[in-house]
Amino acid sequence: MPNEAGRAYGLTALCPIKHGAEAPQPGKPARSFAARTRDLLQDLNEAAESPMACVPNTYLCRFLVLDNVAYQGDPAKLDRLRSSYLVFVADLHAGKKSEEGLRRYLEGMWEHAEPTVRSLWEHCVGFDTVSSSDAFVRYVKRCQVENTLYFNGSTDEPLAEQLKNLYLKQEFSRFAFEHQGKKGAELQAAFGQFLTRTRPHDLSGPTWKPGARTLDDAVIDPNPPPQYLRSVPTGASR
Amino acid sequence: MSTPGSPVTLDLHDIQGNIVKAYSRYDYSHARYVLFEITDGQAGRGFIATLAERVTTSAPWGRGSTEERPESTLNVALTFAGLRMLGLPQASLLTFSPEFATGMRGRGAILGDDGPSGPERWDPVWRKPHRIHVLITINGVSRDAIETAYAFVTDITGRYRAGVRCLTGHRDPEGRNDMPYQAASAIEIDGKPTPKEHFGYTDGIGNPYFKGTGEHPENVLGGGKVTRRDATTRAGWEPLETGEFLLGYKDEAQEFPEAPMPPLLGRNGTYMVYRKLHQNVGSFNRYLDAVGTEYPGGKEALAAKFAGRWRNGAPVTTFPTEAEAEAFAQQWMAAKLKIQQTPKGPAREEAKAAFAQLNAKFVAFDYSKDLPGAGCPVGAHIRRTNPRGSLEFGEAFAFDTRGALTNRRRILRRGLPYGSVVDPQDDTGEHGIVFMALGANIRRQFEFVQQQWVNYGNDFRLGNDRDPIIGNHGTTPEGKGDGRMTIEAEPGGGRPPFLCGGMPRFVETRGGEYFFVPSITALRLIGEGMVDPT
Ligand code: HEM
Repeated sequence: MPNEAGRAYGLTALCPIKHGAEAPQPGKPARSFAARTRDLLQDLNEAAESPMACVPNTYLCRFLVLDNVAYQGDPAKLDRLRSSYLVFVADLHAGKKSEEGLRRYLEGMWEHAEPTVRSLWEHCVGFDTVSSSDAFVRYVKRCQVENTLYFNGSTDEPLAEQLKNLYLKQEFSRFAFEHQGKKGAELQAAFGQFLTRTRPHDLSGPTWKPGARTLDDAVIDPNPPPQYLRSVPTGASR
Repeated sequence: MSTPGSPVTLDLHDIQGNIVKAYSRYDYSHARYVLFEITDGQAGRGFIATLAERVTTSAPWGRGSTEERPESTLNVALTFAGLRMLGLPQASLLTFSPEFATGMRGRGAILGDDGPSGPERWDPVWRKPHRIHVLITINGVSRDAIETAYAFVTDITGRYRAGVRCLTGHRDPEGRNDMPYQAASAIEIDGKPTPKEHFGYTDGIGNPYFKGTGEHPENVLGGGKVTRRDATTRAGWEPLETGEFLLGYKDEAQEFPEAPMPPLLGRNGTYMVYRKLHQNVGSFNRYLDAVGTEYPGGKEALAAKFAGRWRNGAPVTTFPTEAEAEAFAQQWMAAKLKIQQTPKGPAREEAKAAFAQLNAKFVAFDYSKDLPGAGCPVGAHIRRTNPRGSLEFGEAFAFDTRGALTNRRRILRRGLPYGSVVDPQDDTGEHGIVFMALGANIRRQFEFVQQQWVNYGNDFRLGNDRDPIIGNHGTTPEGKGDGRMTIEAEPGGGRPPFLCGGMPRFVETRGGEYFFVPSITALRLIGEGMVDPT
């Protein structure tokens, strides 16, 4: 099946960017639509947190501006695209009914990141007619290209599961460092506390914040434990 | 699978001696490393042409050979800046590898030369890379031999003083930092040179074995590349392709390595990495003392798990307990003594064979029976820097050959310790290793090992963990080391793995550069100004 690896889905969409440039502003050189779109993407790189982190079930995603296809040299044909494209690639959890899952994912994107979506797609051909979640789903699906060589680098669990796994793995390694060498009842009691604190079956928290890189700024915990339980043992901070 | 084709014969008289020979194995236990700046091309070329006449080659010494073993050896290496000063045509310069042209300092982010390993902390001489042009390495069997060879070098430097200057700025143990050379020598115990380094390990055991060197065929054990057969036997090993270590020959990809033009400039030459590595002996000893009391096997076992070898050199995967390692060392010593005590004849030959069999145990092993790392931890220094086929993770035929991920990452290690440890609890003295790594491609071999295997753990499924001994461990906000290592336990053995945390950086960079080691022919071409890339 194209685009799918188990319950993971690889979306690839190529959205044509309009020819031409923005209207000049006083004192500022005008930018072409393609260049402006790229500027926005580059600014995203600088942002502390990706606006896509709050879109449910994003394993990984990437935007880029494609100006042209690479020329492989003679005897290959020199191809030219008719416009630049905004390329949107996402690895996401779609579940068993993948097309349904993709629709839900794009709806979630509209719901949670509408301002980002609007600014990134602003200069794409035909995007001016998109003003609802349904229209966004239709738009992206029209631009979708089939992905026949899809490889997913993680498991295909829902993101919330994966984030909890990540969180537990880090916390458990911290626990192992803190309690190395302890025996029997003492270890058991400590592990009991660990379970109470980390709530392994509760996906709502504590868990890993989407998009965060290290445990220390990643934990979302609706009921944070007292500070003394959170001291970082040396070496276990990564 | 063996590669068919005629055996490689090398013109060993045209290849610099430090490529084929690890001098310290031949009792050259002293060395002096001298750097030069060339300010005038003509004088510089004269200097190189004169040196070319005296360079020690790879030709075998002693029995059955025309060459006498010299009291001292002399070898020459050039930086990219040096080649330019020597007047190499632009068209030739552009054909050297980009990392060599950039130089070690410019590759600092890849090498992890940050914080206490940063260039601000390097010996003064290494801080002006644009002035470093020529490296002369002298090895000697005695201090006198070194002095004689050094006097010779000083003499010809004087002859070409119009355009050749010895660079000062090496630190020495007396606290001077304007020395005209870096001294290095084997660590002596009871007045005798030993193969030890400052953390107390026996070093210089493992080195690659490649086609054409004329080295004893038995050395393919452990030195070659792994086959799918038993690694304790000859069938378990095959020589590596020459092109991994020398330019102008087929390499493990069955290609000729990228090499400078014209071909004569590169052929029989190679690249060399020089790194002055300071050892924080105090921190290392304190760490072993502290964590060694918690580690079930004790301090010595912990040290062994770090390196993958007991401090006496016995590989921990073959000799999992200290008692076994000790017993092995005793047997080895006895077997060695027996050779000396046995009169010439069949009995002596027998004693030699018995010794050779024991000696092979130092190197003839792989990790196929130790995949989870309960013997040698997956993150141990020697297992990281030469995984010996274990990157198939037990999945036979995961790759065409078992060593597929390893064979193109091997390095020839040269060099010696420098300085001495006055106070074993002190980090600050002048002591460490002058580490040299030779190979046909610095980027693919040394830099890859350093970046991916030493300072990162993903290939070993060890996340961000670094090499315990030489990794560039960082610090926590409280200023403690943040390095960590997992010492795996026997799966199902009922024992948990042991976690080492809070490791500070035990090894720091104090300087270095990337060099090209030309053949004698190439030295002559450069010296005569005859390099013609057209
Ligand atoms: C102060 C720094 C270092 C110390 C104390 C050190 C120590 C050791 C020791 C004790 C051994 C075992 C002896 C042997 O097998 O010959 C060894 C082997 C080795 N080391 Fe290092 N080392 C240092 C730096 C490096 C660096 C920078 C690299 C490369 C990036 C490196 C690569 C190797 C390799 C390839 C082996 C042989 C592994 C094998 O073939 O099994 N070492 N080192």
